[in-house]
Amino acid sequence: MDELELLKKDWQKGNDNYPKLSYQEIYSMILKKSSSIVKWIFIISILEFVFWIVISFGLKASGYSMDIEGLEKKFGFIAITILSYGILAYFFYRFYMNYKTINTADTAKNLMENILKTRRTVKQYVFFNLVVLVIGVAYMMPIAINQDENSRALLEQATANGELLKYYASIALVTIIALAIGIAILLLFYWLIYGILLKRLNRNYHELKKLEV
Amino acid sequence: MDKALEHKFVELLEKHQNIVHKVCRLYTNNQEAHNDLFQEITIQLWKAYPKFRGDSKFSTWMYRVGLNTAITLYRKSKRSITTQEFESVQFKIKSEPYDDTEEQQLKLLYNAVHQLNDIEKALVFLYLEDKNYSEISETLGITEVNARVKMNRVKKKLKTILNP
Repeated sequence: MDELELLKKDWQKGNDNYPKLSYQEIYSMILKKSSSIVKWIFIISILEFVFWIVISFGLKASGYSMDIEGLEKKFGFIAITILSYGILAYFFYRFYMNYKTINTADTAKNLMENILKTRRTVKQYVFFNLVVLVIGVAYMMPIAINQDENSRALLEQATANGELLKYYASIALVTIIALAIGIAILLLFYWLIYGILLKRLNRNYHELKKLEV
Repeated sequence: MDKALEHKFVELLEKHQNIVHKVCRLYTNNQEAHNDLFQEITIQLWKAYPKFRGDSKFSTWMYRVGLNTAITLYRKSKRSITTQEFESVQFKIKSEPYDDTEEQQLKLLYNAVHQLNDIEKALVFLYLEDKNYSEISETLGITEVNARVKMNRVKKKLKTILNP
């Protein structure tokens, strides 16, 4: 006899052997909190949105404190501000719509795809913020150097010594290294969190996708 | 959510709870994990219940939510199977004794099924529940042809596990 047929016979016989939970026991279960990955992805995504909003406020605040009279009127600064809020709204809308389509009664493959889509939106948002961060730093760095008295003194000293190029190169290098370390820490953090959360989903999704090839 | 809905849901789940127990039986190795997954599936069923339109049978809908929770949403990592743990689960829900050989063979079979991956287990589960390929393909979101192909591979894999 086919092994599975034997198993099926036994499986269907065993209906009376499962535990019987009472109405009260089941009722108390529906009051408990879920620990599903969708809930965690939602919480982490919201934290990511909050994190980048705080960072962008922080950057703007430091921009204002550097040049109270001029910076808020500069076209580049205004454009970046408007654009970043518009894009934040767009990402948040997409995230919300994706999240709404997650339905546990969907087919397994659709459910996995929708969860991955939600995650992808947040990933794009993070990527967008990293780009803005790099552009923002590149844009504000020269302004900061010109505003800061210590930097100006150093600049004058470097000009006097004929080491202007060396001065700019060392500032650029320090900025790039600081940015690279910051971005690497962030990426490692995402990789760890989502790696753990989505390990099972990714494995099973690939198993289903493999069938289509 | 309103009390009448709560009451109706709990009553339905109480009646059909075996489906959830069966999913837990395949996807967990010990009593603690079984209870934990049972609870998560119950929560997911309850959360999805307001959207349940009754287009399909409650039990069919339960298969989907139950399997989706086990395959996709459940976060706790699987502990590795120890023989002792596995056997304690098996003995607890052991069926009528057959002759020794058949009982032994069934034990090996259940053990082999536990070694399959999550998707393979889902296929076996639906097959054991006497679902046809059309239902299997609709639950997993793959084509009927792919469901058949995969099922044949699973059968072969089980044979290999049983006769290495």
